[in-house]
Amino acid sequence: MKIEKTNAGFLTNFEVLDFLQSRGAKTDPMGCLGAVAASECKVYEYLLKTPACNQTRESINEFVTRCESFKLTNADKLNVINWRPSSAADAYAMIEECGKRFSKDERGEACNEDERVEEFLELVKEAFPPPPPKPEAMIE
Amino acid sequence: MFVLSQIEHNLPMPPHLLSRPLVDAIKAELERLFLDKVVANLGLCVSVYDIRSVEGGFIFPGEGCSTYKVSFRLLMFRPFVGEVLVGKISGYDEKGLHVSLDFFSDISIPGHLMQYGTARALDGRWMLKTEDGDELYLDLDDEIRFLVSSIKYPPIPVEQKETDRAFAPMQIIGSIKGDGLGLLAWWAADEEEGEAEAEAEE
Repeated sequence: MKIEKTNAGFLTNFEVLDFLQSRGAKTDPMGCLGAVAASECKVYEYLLKTPACNQTRESINEFVTRCESFKLTNADKLNVINWRPSSAADAYAMIEECGKRFSKDERGEACNEDERVEEFLELVKEAFPPPPPKPEAMIE
Repeated sequence: MFVLSQIEHNLPMPPHLLSRPLVDAIKAELERLFLDKVVANLGLCVSVYDIRSVEGGFIFPGEGCSTYKVSFRLLMFRPFVGEVLVGKISGYDEKGLHVSLDFFSDISIPGHLMQYGTARALDGRWMLKTEDGDELYLDLDDEIRFLVSSIKYPPIPVEQKETDRAFAPMQIIGSIKGDGLGLLAWWAADEEEGEAEAEAEE
C-alpha cells in the first residue's frame, strides 16, 4: 500500500451525508443491509442529527460567497458550516481568535466586535435553514 | 471532520470474484480490506469514495489470482486539530471524560483540559463550580461540544494485561476549555437568559 496523498481534500458533513445517501444509506436498520456497511450506517445516523441534515449545495455556496468579508480561514468555514452557530458563544468556540479578528470590518477599520459577531450570526441564520426540532421537543 | 485520502495499492483479486464486473469486484475487495478500520496517520476509514484507475492484472508465478494496481480515494474520519465536534459523554474516570460520536468512541477529555474550576464530585462525576457557586454536573449521555486538541495513533502493544483498557488504534484528545465549549445545555441556557434580559429591558 502506498499513500499518495494523505489529504486529497476536506469534506463538509453535508457532502458526506449526501455521498452516503447516494449510496443508499437509510435510517431503517433492515434497509441498510446489503447496500452499505453497518459502520457507514452509523456515520449516516450521526450526521442526520447534525445541522447538515437540511443543508443544500446552494445554501453552502451562498454562505461561502457571502462570508468573504469576514476573512475566515477554511478551517473556520468548515466548523461554521458543520455546526451552524446560533449564539455568540457558539461563534467564539468555532472561530479561532474570534474576538481579535472580529474587531475589524472588511476595510480593516476598527469596529465593535459584538456587533460584528451579531452581523455574522445573522448571515449564518439567513444562509442555513434552522435545524428541525428534536424528537423529544416534538412530543411535548 | 471528514477528509479524502488517495491511496495506491497492489490488490490481489481472489478468483471467486472473477464472475463479477471488475470495478465492482475491486470495490468489494477494497471495502473488505479498509472499511471500518484505522489506517495509521490517515484516520478511520468510513467508505471507499471512488476508484480512480485500475492497471495491470498480472498473474504472478505460483499464484492463483491476478494482481491489479489500483488507485482510489477513501473517505476518512480524521478531524483536524482545532476542529469543533459534538458528542455524547459515555463514561468518566479519575483521568477525565470519555466521549462517543456513535460511530467512534475513543475520545477522551482529560481533567486539565476542562474549564477552570472543574473537579470531581464525591460520587465520582465531574462537576464545574461556577463563580456564582452553581454546581454544573457533566453527566452520562449529555451532549458535549469539544475542540480536538490532538490525535494519537499508538503502536499495537506487544503485551496486553487483562486489566488494561481495550486497545484503541486511534485516540482523540479533546478540550472543553474555552468559550462556547462544554455541555450544549450550558450555552443554550445562557441564550435564554440573554433573551429574557432583553425582553425585560424592552
